[in-house]
Parts: sequence; structure tokens; C-alpha cells
Amino acid sequence: MSIASPEIDERTDLQASTSGPWQTVVWNDPVNLMSYVEHIFRQYFGFSREKAHRLMLAVHHDGHAVVAEGSREQMELHAQAMHDYGLWATVREAGS
Amino acid sequence: MTGHAVAMELTLLEAAHLSDLVGQFEDVVTSHDGSDPAVRRLVPDAYADDAEAAAEFRRLTEDDLLARRAADAGIVRASLRHDGQDLDIDQLDRAAAEDILVVDLTPDAAGAWLRTLAALRLVLADRLGVTDEEQRGDGDARFGVYEWIGYRLEMLVQALDA
Repeated sequence: MSIASPEIDERTDLQASTSGPWQTVVWNDPVNLMSYVEHIFRQYFGFSREKAHRLMLAVHHDGHAVVAEGSREQMELHAQAMHDYGLWATVREAGS
Repeated sequence: MTGHAVAMELTLLEAAHLSDLVGQFEDVVTSHDGSDPAVRRLVPDAYADDAEAAAEFRRLTEDDLLARRAADAGIVRASLRHDGQDLDIDQLDRAAAEDILVVDLTPDAAGAWLRTLAALRLVLADRLGVTDEEQRGDGDARFGVYEWIGYRLEMLVQALDA
């Protein structure tokens, strides 16, 4: 397989990223239990135990993790659902 | 993954304290006091860098979120009734304080318990000034309550994940 020159594709990607999908981000806090956060990720998003665990650890160690990507409306629904469980979630444009 | 029914066992003394705390929690969430940082924590900013979008999101979601906190708290308090009565710490027979109350929770009620215990800890953390997860209370009795609620939440999560 040859490696094609990426220049044209990169221009396209750049445009996509500025108008691109939205994200739901969950932030670390000193109160919520790690087991609880993992449980909510599994229960609400239907993530596997492994994925929920990995994302929970990312929240814990990196301070935040992107848990979903898609339309702004859908990301707002996810953020509201996270707030319902006491998790601190925000919505942002991908790449912002 | 769907929830399943679980049973929790508490002493009557624990149940009476929890019922009292959850009653106080209901007062906090029904106050809708936007200047109370604990209430703000239950309806946090959904946009970190866009105050206008955050305000609009809060306008659309705040009442529902706080109403659900109150409804969940009501379910928890109802499940803690003993012989049809709210348990009252002051009225509790000391000889019966260590008796076990078995609380059977449907999947829906278990969800209400999860959300209420987590939210109650957020409120207690605000009142105690918890800013670090390794923090330990300096002899503040409420810190013991905060840790006990965490223990109960941990047990419930384990039971639901089993």
C-alpha cells in the first residue's frame, strides 16, 4: 500500500473540524466515587465494563474525558443525563 | 445493562439518620436557591466557555433536574419508612436502634437511591468544603456522615454491578 500525499485530504479535514461534531465531556470532581462513575457510564451509555473503566480512569487522571460525539442536541441530552446523576458534564465543539 | 432488584440492610439508627438527611436534602433542592453553591453543583454549567449558552441550558433543564432530585429523595424516604412511619431519631427506641431494616429496592427505586446518595454527598461536600478526594475531616462529625454515605453508595453500586 502506498502512502498518498495527504495535502488535499488535510484541507478537507480542517474544514470538517471547525464545523464538526460536538462532544460531551465529563470532568473530574473530588466527590463522586470511581465505582459510581464507571457504573453510570455502563448503565447510561451501555459501554462495556472495559470501556467504562477506561473512560472513568481518564476522567480521574486527566481531569476529563470525551464520552460521546455527535450532534449538539444529542450532546446536550447526554450532558443533562450526566447532571441527573450528579456528574459534571459540558458540551463543546470537537477541536475547540 | 439494565438494573435489577437489590436489598439493602441498615440498622434502624442508620435508617433514621438517613431519612433525616434526605429530608433536609429535599428542602435544599426544593428551595431552588440559585445562590446556594450546592444547588448550583446539582445543575452545573453545561458550557465551560460560553456563559450565554450555559445560562440558556440551565433555564431549560434546571427545574426538571431539581424536581427529579426531590422526587428521587421522596422515593428514598418512603423506602425507609418503618411500620408505615417516617423514622425519627429522637423517637427511636434505643433498644431497637441496632435492629436491621431490610429495604427491598425495585430497579427504579435503586436508581433513585443511587442518584440521591450521590447528590447528597455533593451537598455535604459543599457544606464541608471538600476540595480534595483524599481530604479527611478535622474532627467534624459531619465528615463521618459524608464517608458513611459514600460507603453506602459503594455498597449499592457493588450490589447493582454484581
